[in-house]
Amino acid sequence: MIFIAIVMGCILGAVIGIYAPMVPYTYSGYLAIAIIAALDSVFGGIASTLNKQFDLKIFVSGFFGNAILSMLLTYLGQKLNVDIYLAAIVVFVGRMFNNLAIIRRYYLQKWTSHKKKETGEKVG
Amino acid sequence: MKKEKKNQIVMTVIIGAVCVVFFAVMFMQFKTIEETDITAIENMREVDLRTAISEWKGKYEDTQKKLEANQKSVKEYQETIAKNGEASELVDKDLAESNMLLGKTDVVGEGIVITLANTQDYTITYSHLLELINELRYAGAEAISINDARILTTTEIIQVDSRMQAGGQRIASPYVIKAIGNQTYLSSTLSLKDSGFIDRYKASGMDIKLEKGNNIKILKYNGDLKVKYMKEVEK
Repeated sequence: MIFIAIVMGCILGAVIGIYAPMVPYTYSGYLAIAIIAALDSVFGGIASTLNKQFDLKIFVSGFFGNAILSMLLTYLGQKLNVDIYLAAIVVFVGRMFNNLAIIRRYYLQKWTSHKKKETGEKVG
Repeated sequence: MKKEKKNQIVMTVIIGAVCVVFFAVMFMQFKTIEETDITAIENMREVDLRTAISEWKGKYEDTQKKLEANQKSVKEYQETIAKNGEASELVDKDLAESNMLLGKTDVVGEGIVITLANTQDYTITYSHLLELINELRYAGAEAISINDARILTTTEIIQVDSRMQAGGQRIASPYVIKAIGNQTYLSSTLSLKDSGFIDRYKASGMDIKLEKGNNIKILKYNGDLKVKYMKEVEK
């Protein structure tokens, strides 16, 4: 049921995005940073689900909070003439890789244990 | 059990909503990036852009200055053209006037027509004509002709035997002398008592008729006007 919701949400979101008005180029930088932050939250959510620690409140607040905060920081950086968005990208992408590593390890472990079981059964 | 199910529905809805928002924003960004020519803008650093702007500004100012200078010269040219036009107009007017005075063109205007005819008692001689022409010139005649032969400043009136010749053309009685000038001056000068031509010769029996006209036409000189011997004195 959750998978159906995710797929439906993705398709609906894509359609809305395609027919939405174009964002001016000056603001597309903020949008990009928000997308990176949101993507980080999504991977974080998946990783925590696998660890059975998923909390909807943390996920939603992280999803929107990180996006808005990163946009604000980018704005501040532009006012201060410091490229703060670079720091945000480093942090978010770094965390994304961490989460991806957790996901990968989890499935790898699952796969290897499954194989072991299979071979063990065959040997036995 | 019921509570768990409710929680699950809430979670599903929220995650779906999050997905909608996420993908909508992502695709908006995709579209923006795709439709903007980023490479051209991003390949230039801010410093480059600044220098480019200042360069263009300089070029713009230069061009503006050139434009102003060109406009100024165009104005000057136009002024000189207008002046030349005026000058050539004056020259043309001068030329036309000279031609009229010289007798190179047909002319028309107010004036008088005098007709002299030989009678049995009185024969008209060249000296009468010369006297009359002289008097007409004195009265301000601008153009004179005898029997449609234009009388120029160089025209001779001679008598060979009993035949009269004016400017190489033979003329005979009746002599029709046309003169363009102020009607009143011309007629009154000729008719002055005792000293005027008409008054003097009418008394001695000459057949003279005087007519005034507002539209007297005098034909141009028929011959060639050539200068053979004289030259302009160099200043």
